[in-house]
Amino acid sequence: MVYLAAGFGAGIITIGAALGIGMIGKSAVESIARQPEASGDIRGAMILTAAFIEGVALFSAIVCALLALQITV
Amino acid sequence: MTQIVRRVVVALLFLLVLNPNLLAADSSENNEPVIDVMGKVVDHDYFEIFNQKIYLPRIFLVEGGLHVYRNTQSAIESGEFQMVDGTMIRADGATVSIDFSITSHLLFVWFGMILTLLITFWASFKYKKGAGADTEPKGTGQNLFEVFFVFIRDDIAKEYIADNKHTKFVSYLFSVFMAISFMNLFGLLPWGASATADLTVTATLATITFFVTQFNGSKDHWEHVFMFPGVHPLMRIILTPVEILGLFTKPFALAVRLFANMLSGKIMIVCILGLIFIFTEIFGPMIGVGSSIIWVALTAALYILKAFIGLLQAYIFTLLSAVFIGMAVEEHHHHDHESSVAMTKDVQI
Repeated sequence: MVYLAAGFGAGIITIGAALGIGMIGKSAVESIARQPEASGDIRGAMILTAAFIEGVALFSAIVCALLALQITV
Repeated sequence: MTQIVRRVVVALLFLLVLNPNLLAADSSENNEPVIDVMGKVVDHDYFEIFNQKIYLPRIFLVEGGLHVYRNTQSAIESGEFQMVDGTMIRADGATVSIDFSITSHLLFVWFGMILTLLITFWASFKYKKGAGADTEPKGTGQNLFEVFFVFIRDDIAKEYIADNKHTKFVSYLFSVFMAISFMNLFGLLPWGASATADLTVTATLATITFFVTQFNGSKDHWEHVFMFPGVHPLMRIILTPVEILGLFTKPFALAVRLFANMLSGKIMIVCILGLIFIFTEIFGPMIGVGSSIIWVALTAALYILKAFIGLLQAYIFTLLSAVFIGMAVEEHHHHDHESSVAMTKDVQI
């Protein structure tokens, strides 16, 4: 049961994080295409935002790992 | 010359394919789990090199007294400590206040620090002598150093810390970037371990960032945490706890991000190499040997990805530290803005 929960959790995290990072990538590529001279700034902002999403996703990934490994704190 | 090097590398790659298979044949004889993933990732009380284990000293602080032993074995033999579930406890029931033991991850943290110190001292020595300061930088080493340093100073510190206050923080940001890069990349060396795949190491780094941020906070920073100019006073009941919580979640996210990224990369490499063992277990040794070519190639690709991620995570840690410091030291200019609005109104009238 715990393994099931951990597996489902990991799947849902992946959906959320993929949606978020995909949207960032989409809008970053669009704005670079509109304004190629600002690509440096856009890339920096893109990495920064992606890092925030990644952080949230990894929080929940660690919760899933703790569930699967059955570590009680 | 390059031909010889290339041939040696190819020969070593074939040896890499053979070596795990020999290990797989060994482990299938005794009834151990096929592969111990977490054992490869966690901290150890020994430092392994060329398959030789060097046991490291254990230091315990017990109720004010310091107990120092050469290694875990001698601590147990002395009769004062017992090993229970992988942790050391006192035999007579006294509590161990702090465990100062030197572990493999701590050793790699020290290696990273020493390398950073050596590189920066070497570079500063060179700049003092005049190379780079009066003339152009000489040699690969100095040019590479300058690329990294200028990148940290101009693209991270100057960009995110406003009002020319960045000069104070460039040294911190640069040293944290170099140290984290080295710690991440040590995990790619044979017998190496990435110390940043340990929550205690990343938490320590994030704590340093937290203190640097709070000690350099401007008046406006604290005003926005406690007072909220321009917000209804009753809203402070909700917003102040949220803001105080926000002070702590930022470095917490910083620590967990670095830790989880490095840990997941390590686990992935061990798991994909472990597929050789699993295939040997399920389908027999021939399929295990045959499929190992795929898994070793995949691992090589993952290694390149991990080298990139190691540098990227060091960059992100430095960048976010700079952003947090920049948010804290920034001074807002409300009054200037309002007065300028008033002045334009006067002009219109």
